[in-house]
Amino acid sequence: MAHALQVRDLRAGYAGREILKGVSFDVAPDDFFAIIGPSGAGKSTLIRCVNRLVEPTGGEVLLDGRNLLSLGQHHLREARRHIGMIFQEFNLIERLSVLDNVLTGRLGYTGTLRSVLRRFTRDDIGKALSMLDRVGLRDHVHKRADRLSGGQRQRVGIARALMQDPRLLLVDEPTSSLDPKIAREVMGLIREVAAELRVPVLCNIHDVKLACEFCTRVIGLQDGVKRFEGPPARLDERAMHDIYALELL
Amino acid sequence: MNASTLDTRLIDTRIDAIARMRWRKWRNRALVYGLLAALVAWSVYVIVIADTDWARLAGASLLKTLGRFMEFDVALLPDLVDPSIDTALMATLASLLGLVLALPVAWLGAANITPLGKASYVFGRGLMTLSRSVHEIVWGLIFVSAVGLGALAGVLAMAVRSVGFISKIIAEAIEDVHPGPIEAIRAVGGNKLQVLLYGIVPQVVPVVIGTVIFEWDINIRRSTIMGLVGAGGLGLVLFRQMAMFNYGGIATVILAVLLLILLGEVISHYARKAVL
Repeated sequence: MAHALQVRDLRAGYAGREILKGVSFDVAPDDFFAIIGPSGAGKSTLIRCVNRLVEPTGGEVLLDGRNLLSLGQHHLREARRHIGMIFQEFNLIERLSVLDNVLTGRLGYTGTLRSVLRRFTRDDIGKALSMLDRVGLRDHVHKRADRLSGGQRQRVGIARALMQDPRLLLVDEPTSSLDPKIAREVMGLIREVAAELRVPVLCNIHDVKLACEFCTRVIGLQDGVKRFEGPPARLDERAMHDIYALELL
Repeated sequence: MNASTLDTRLIDTRIDAIARMRWRKWRNRALVYGLLAALVAWSVYVIVIADTDWARLAGASLLKTLGRFMEFDVALLPDLVDPSIDTALMATLASLLGLVLALPVAWLGAANITPLGKASYVFGRGLMTLSRSVHEIVWGLIFVSAVGLGALAGVLAMAVRSVGFISKIIAEAIEDVHPGPIEAIRAVGGNKLQVLLYGIVPQVVPVVIGTVIFEWDINIRRSTIMGLVGAGGLGLVLFRQMAMFNYGGIATVILAVLLLILLGEVISHYARKAVL
């Protein structure tokens, strides 16, 4: 089944300061959305409002037609199970093994007792092994996460997100902690796995060139307002000026 | 008046202001050090100069007393083996019990995960302070009156006394955890317990283990004076020797304590290496 995300007039802020000032866009099942914009534009807040790691103050976020913003805590956790997230600093649990880190992607599906004893089901373990194969970490399954290189750690992060059977991938600056070559590999991998699973991707990225190379659609955010939306080919100098102008002045 | 003389004057006034500021700072510092020096001089006079029996220190009496300690009571050695083992076991038991009691206290007293907000935080921190502010001997007296003379009272006293330190260090480690893993577990749909188990616990495990090993080391020392309240081990032997004014025996027991602590240092060194 194909999944889609609609964001309507999304608002967020705290202490009287508005960070998102009514952002709307539609993500189709095959879309790879890149969100670009200057630092402080609200890119990270936007991504985190979708799975409510940051609580929005208004608007709607519809995943497959269901408004995530009206869910109670219990149903929110259920919804989060299906939203994979990949982080800038990988957010791995450093002292656990690569396998255990990937298995944490199943926690939303795992009962309390099994969580306490760290006993995941055979199915989950099999799934984790095949995901680790998929991201090219077959030989690192039992290593501690803190023993891996940056690129390898991000691959663990990707495998963890895939474990969730995601209907949407949220990706927050996946390459900022990586060198340019590894960054391109990681972006390529995210695009491949998203296409295989037919999940839409919403990806923050400050590297405009990299964004244009991998995404199907670009959103330009500036000071909490959407300044641009379109395919990368339409992102010309004027659009760039529009998105980044205030920064320069 | 041209621009450059104005600049010069401006700079002059700023330099003056800085000079005044520095003088004030120097004066305040001198005042603080002066007060400290006066306090030290006063303490030395009251505690050392006025309160000491100088006649006793003069002559050979001091050396003679010290000499008596040097006559180690070798005959006592076989009687020290069992108490040494008792002492080590008491310390181990007390440290583990202390850890078990400290975990919930740390949970209450860590600002970022405390369950009921400010109320439970203050309660947790209060328990930590209570545990640490009462001396182990006083805890010992309390538990002796509760469970009677013997090693159990000593173990309970040391365990309760250990809670404060262990839980405080763990609580602070919990407050300092890296937020990334917590965010990741929330993002996959994990509940509060799963966030605690997977986002927080793995990050603080090394601190927990290191702290308990350190506390064990401290408890070996502590258990040697728990003899005062009738708990067994080397402490009891020590106080018997003191009651008999057997200086050689006292020195021998102290030597045994020293060896036990050295052994503890060695074991904790390797234990730390093995688990971190």
